[in-house]
Amino acid sequence: MNNLCTDIGFNSINKKGEQLCGDHVEIVEQNENSFVLVLADGLGSGVKACILSTLTSKIISTMMANNLSIEDCVATIAATLPVCEKRGIAYSTFTIIRINNNSEAEIIQYDNPHVIMLRGGMNYEYPRTGMDIEGKTIYKSKLQLEKNDVFIAMSDGAIYAGVGKTLNFGWQRDSIIDFMVGNYDKKMSAKGISQLLLDECNTLYGGEPGDDTTIAAIKIRQRIPMNLMIGPPSNPGDLKKMQTLFFAKEGKHIVCGGTTSKLAAEYLGKPVVPCLDYIDPEIPPIAKIEGVDLVTEGVVTMTKVLEYANEYLDGTISISDLSIRKDGASRIAQLLFEEATDISFYVGRAINPAHQNPKLPINFNIKMQLIDEISRKLKEMGKNINVSYF
Amino acid sequence: MNVYVCVGSSCHLKGSYKIIELMKENIEKNNLEDKVSLSAAFCLGKCTTGVTIKVDDEIVCGVSPENFSEIFRKYIIERV
Repeated sequence: MNNLCTDIGFNSINKKGEQLCGDHVEIVEQNENSFVLVLADGLGSGVKACILSTLTSKIISTMMANNLSIEDCVATIAATLPVCEKRGIAYSTFTIIRINNNSEAEIIQYDNPHVIMLRGGMNYEYPRTGMDIEGKTIYKSKLQLEKNDVFIAMSDGAIYAGVGKTLNFGWQRDSIIDFMVGNYDKKMSAKGISQLLLDECNTLYGGEPGDDTTIAAIKIRQRIPMNLMIGPPSNPGDLKKMQTLFFAKEGKHIVCGGTTSKLAAEYLGKPVVPCLDYIDPEIPPIAKIEGVDLVTEGVVTMTKVLEYANEYLDGTISISDLSIRKDGASRIAQLLFEEATDISFYVGRAINPAHQNPKLPINFNIKMQLIDEISRKLKEMGKNINVSYF
Repeated sequence: MNVYVCVGSSCHLKGSYKIIELMKENIEKNNLEDKVSLSAAFCLGKCTTGVTIKVDDEIVCGVSPENFSEIFRKYIIERV
């Protein structure tokens, strides 16, 4: 165990007119620090390609995660994949990236554009060894990870972007490298990287992709802990314990809720200074307490954070949309979705008597469900989540 | 004179935003910028009867756009 962690993000666009994607990304976790990612691109497009790539990625990721050799994986796929009627072959290209204990990466590639690797924001040509398995040339690489290493795997839809439209020969791998180096931002998450590249492909295709295009990015990050406290404890006697635990933790501290922030301010011996600016009429203003990184209202703001989490996961909003907004919910979203890798929630279960009014659309159950839902969405984003109740 | 408008969850849902806008407007209209300091406050503890405001040390509940001018006259204009 070291202080590195892995952030994964992937996105696809379908060939124009297709409802299914012929590319498939599968991730199997072996443990908290080791996993296998497979990006497969099935022959053709539509249903057939989708079945081929799903089978290929599922078989390889499962077998690799159980420590079977690449030779066995390839043999199994060759024996399993249905043969295409038109072309008489069973075929799906694949890229495998396996991260061991967040310290070593193993890359195995077959016929997809080679994985682009950035180290310190610059292109890094890692050594590749070719080997022949069942008549297929497969490239293997193994390397030690460093902080901020970025791996970008893609299906060939990326390098065909713009063929015959904006670019005569498509988008060459070298040009993609130049684009990624030029747009490199140390703070960008894996999801941000994959979205950036995919958006550019879609633009080159003029919004009408000629092939399914998938980008999967892996970013090696330093762990960044974040702590969020919401609600006073159900037993007032636990207040001191809750606050001491919360403020003793490493990383940034976010305090949500009017009463909660008042109590936190008392604990720190500093005043709460609410801001008057309603940046978004729907979201209550934030406040400031010296020693706390962010102070917001509770339930209304967190409801908005959950809304943003859903939109962020389905790609309706990006981190740059959130970073230009300055309301409480967008600020929390930015800290949790982009910056943090490990998030600890300190949830107080005191019932606010003022909220138990049938005329108000907030009550205790909604608050608890809200935290559950947000934790689930954050896990989907690949964060390590820890929730403690008081 | 210090005027606080509650922006806690309940008051927010009952329209703190609108009340703050009205406050700013009316303070300006009556040229009270030098005399009245307007701020936001986290929960003032009167959640069921919001929007709640605090004028110096006195708490006034149930402020709405409808009764705003009356409250503004009674608690602010007549006292500064």
